[in-house]
Amino acid sequence: MIVGIKDSLKLFGISVMVCCAVTVCNLFLNFDLDLRAIACFVENMEALAFYDALRMTTKVVCGVTGACLAATTVVMLVFYIKHYIDRHAREIGILKALGYSDLKIAKGFSVFGLNIFLGCLLGYLLSLLLMPMFYEKQNVGNFLPNLSIKIHWLLFLPLVLLPALAFGAIAVGYSLRKLNQSCVNLLKGIEKVKGKNRAGKDRADFVSEMRSSVLRSRKVLVFFIFFSSFIFSDTILMSVSMRDIASDMMGIMIFLIGVVLAFTTLYIAVSSVIRSNQKSVAMMRVFGYDAAACKRAVLDGYRPASYLGFAVGAVYQHAMLRIMVEVVFAGVEGVPEYEFFGERGPFRKLTEATTLYFPTKTANPWPPN
Amino acid sequence: MIEIKNLTKYYGTGEARFKVLDGISVRIEAGESIVLLGASGSGKSTFLNVISGLETLDEGSVAYDGKRLETMSEKELTAFRRDHTAFIFQQYYLLPHLNVEKNVKMGADLDHNKDFLPLLEAVGLAEKRKKFPAELSGGEQQRVAIARALAKHPKVLFLDEPTGALDEKTGRLVLDYILQLQAKQGFTMIMVTHNANIAETADRILRMNSGKIVSDTLNPRKKTAYEIGW
Ligand SMILES: Nc1ncnc2c1ncn2[C@@H]1O[C@H](COP(=O)(O)OP(=O)(O)O)[C@@H](O)[C@H]1O
Ligand SMILES: [Mg+2]
Repeated sequence: MIVGIKDSLKLFGISVMVCCAVTVCNLFLNFDLDLRAIACFVENMEALAFYDALRMTTKVVCGVTGACLAATTVVMLVFYIKHYIDRHAREIGILKALGYSDLKIAKGFSVFGLNIFLGCLLGYLLSLLLMPMFYEKQNVGNFLPNLSIKIHWLLFLPLVLLPALAFGAIAVGYSLRKLNQSCVNLLKGIEKVKGKNRAGKDRADFVSEMRSSVLRSRKVLVFFIFFSSFIFSDTILMSVSMRDIASDMMGIMIFLIGVVLAFTTLYIAVSSVIRSNQKSVAMMRVFGYDAAACKRAVLDGYRPASYLGFAVGAVYQHAMLRIMVEVVFAGVEGVPEYEFFGERGPFRKLTEATTLYFPTKTANPWPPN
Repeated sequence: MIEIKNLTKYYGTGEARFKVLDGISVRIEAGESIVLLGASGSGKSTFLNVISGLETLDEGSVAYDGKRLETMSEKELTAFRRDHTAFIFQQYYLLPHLNVEKNVKMGADLDHNKDFLPLLEAVGLAEKRKKFPAELSGGEQQRVAIARALAKHPKVLFLDEPTGALDEKTGRLVLDYILQLQAKQGFTMIMVTHNANIAETADRILRMNSGKIVSDTLNPRKKTAYEIGW
């Protein structure tokens, strides 16, 4: 079949992402189940406040990581499949012309479920490894003496098996939908230019023309770039303040998840823009456009989305932290005053991070292949 | 004037290393129209790519009015291509997401040429200028490629089997457009083909075999695209 295991492994980024998600979710869910079991042993007021804050945090963290990462994974998977089908339109057209059914071709895409399975499995194992350390860090000052690790194996089902099956099914379902077009259109690659590019108004110079057409031909990428910057600024801020509010480990963990998520999204987005414009860039180079002009034509259109993502991420995180400090941790002693623009505040650190981040975004698209 | 001296190029490394171009020396005058003939695999495309600055050479030199390509940096080569050359390939290589007009703009912009519609008219595509490449026939796509290449007013036009993917009728039509525009604008033209009939349309015919130029003849009686066999 045309989608091989090799193709699916190229989607390594998605595996890394679900791996992170499952690690975090399993740690917190397991922890939450153990917490629930000792609810009746919590006696004094101080311990109770601590206990409530812990349970609140686990819920928020699980909900946010689980939902966000699952949603991103779906979007990325769907995008990857769309991109894959666009790029292999000709081969798929030939297979269809030879008499392969859509279902037969689509079945091949179920290997993407394997990516998810491997990522989840790895994440699950990683969480088992981290669990002792995690419990120790969470139970600071030994407020809850009865708390001990009991591994809830049943979580394997919803955290590993179910996602693998669900994502495999999504992959097949979506590709089935995409494959439902005539052989001739697939062979000619007509689908790509119909309608959506008509609207473009005339621009002064060719590079702007090209930039806007690249942007219009891959609109989802605008979202990805936005999302990537959003996650980056959001998680950097969150990790910085988590180190102050919760623990070092929380801070580092969130930082790592953020960086992995932001960079995999960015990598998938940028590499797919570059790959799908390789021939055009090569032609521009033949005609004497320099590398900088090609870069401007292909990547610069996404820059505003990136800036916007940064800004929205910062504002969003600022609001979230305010809520957390003022509502969730309201009853807990020793939560430091939270200062957004202060000397130690996240805003300072974000501006520093930004300068490191931008060069990676403009990877040189030349030479192609 | 293009002066090529002892041009040699290898492909591959170690055991698999072989000579694609074997000490070619030839002098091409400004405004000449040249057809380069040779069997498939004889090194024609490689020769074209090297003398147009798309690929590097291993030995020898290529000089345009005394300026030597092999000494240029990547940046200088880019500027050289921008100011001097244009290319037409067998596979057209139009930009799929841009319509005909904007494809031509890609060439026109490089010479600050705002007045490229007459060129589209000259290749008979004025009323298809809002169409996308996938909506055009092969012959029409190649005519867009011609307009795109000439819109930058090149001093030298390189063509690699420009009619290789077209049937006889369309091939003649496309060739006719090329020849007429060359006669009118007077740029130097170097066209690669394996169709010996097409050679009769050139001022000068070079034959290539195994990386060497084996004959170099002037053509006393140039024919038009409709007078030659196919
Ligand atoms: N990038 C390359 N790497 C290795 N060998 C090549 C490459 N390009 C062409 N060749 C080889 O060089 C020879 C000449 O190729 P080419 O110049 O394309 O011939 P022609 O255009 O006359 O058909 C052929 O044997 C071809 O296989
Ligand atoms: Mg060739």
